Amino acid sequence: MQTKTNALSQGLIRCHDCGYLVKTETKMSSCPRCDGHLHARNPHSLQRTTALLLSSFLLYIPANIFPIMMVNQFGAGEPHTITGGIVDLIDSGMIPIAMLVLVASILVPASKLIGISLLLLCAHFRWQVNARRWTTMYRMIAFVGRWSMLDIFMISILVDLVNFSGVQIIAGPAATAFAAVVILTMFAAENFDPRLLWDNQQNSYE
Amino acid sequence: MNSSSAYHACPECDLLLKATLPDVGEKAHCPRCGLLLARPHKQSVERTFALSIAGIILFFPANLLPMVGITMMGNANTGILFSGVLALFNEGLQAVAVVVFLASILFPLVHISLSLLISGHLYFNLANRYLAHWMRWMHHLDEWVMLEVYMLSIIVACVKLMSIAQLKLGWGLYAFVALIVINTLLTSGLDEALFWQRIEQLRTRKNNAN
Repeated sequence: MQTKTNALSQGLIRCHDCGYLVKTETKMSSCPRCDGHLHARNPHSLQRTTALLLSSFLLYIPANIFPIMMVNQFGAGEPHTITGGIVDLIDSGMIPIAMLVLVASILVPASKLIGISLLLLCAHFRWQVNARRWTTMYRMIAFVGRWSMLDIFMISILVDLVNFSGVQIIAGPAATAFAAVVILTMFAAENFDPRLLWDNQQNSYE
Repeated sequence: MNSSSAYHACPECDLLLKATLPDVGEKAHCPRCGLLLARPHKQSVERTFALSIAGIILFFPANLLPMVGITMMGNANTGILFSGVLALFNEGLQAVAVVVFLASILFPLVHISLSLLISGHLYFNLANRYLAHWMRWMHHLDEWVMLEVYMLSIIVACVKLMSIAQLKLGWGLYAFVALIVINTLLTSGLDEALFWQRIEQLRTRKNNAN
């Protein structure tokens, strides 16, 4: 069923929303089947992804140095950063949960930032790479992104439940920065067009 | 027509492929980049319709009944999805509260309602000019429905609190788990290619009737 050719090089544009193929020569701007906006590749994919990625890089700093929550016990507040929360979990012997939080709130955001940067460099400098492997990397980045919201949801649960006169958990300023990092990198992954990786390969049909 | 529907293109590498739909129970992968292209399910419309109804019904107990109860030093407190949003809002983290509200309450509700509307129309063969729009919205919302992520954070939060307080799991949590199961079955069983085909058929039939 393989035709060994790109749809675009045959003058066909795939609708991003419903998958319908439209001939380029009709110069239609919206899909005849679903009325979605037609574009051969995501519009300004590299520029938009770069902008979103740079913002995430900047926000990643406050997200990690400011406290994400504070435990107020009888007036004495104790701030926790993301890393601090994980250290606490390890200290109290909950290694599996600590690993889970480590993966979701540190490893995943960090590898997303690095991964999307590499994808951008690859697409921009037209590196000759194993495009299949790079597309798989893109797919993983797009898939794991939402799981970083774990920390944010957890804070909303803790803040709500632990709200007594003696003990209180208060959300810290890093929560906003961290949520923004997660959402901006999700948008960055969505705006990146993996087809650009394939467009740049000279022999991609073996 | 201005399209050749005998062909498909891979959404991630743009390889032009002859359109052959795999049989039920089989999978089609892109030969070049390996993307899962199609995985037809038996009676996708009927299943989606049934699961959407179940999802809508479960949505209410999952959101209204207490999920987790906590007792600490003689004080008791219970939490539901929305009380977490309110707590964040009252502490001045309005932006985060809005994000949590969208990802855990509003988007799941809209997503299930849209799939109920679409599968209902297809099930009863009703044409509607908004069908294609609903389909597109549902497609874009998919990634932002984060029920299963929320479930994982409930588990982590409970583990964190276990050592310092007494916890009691409420009916809301069981309804929430059921809602996640339904939602996962719903998203994995929804055959987008089939849905688009049926929408197009309904439209042509309606146009011919006029």
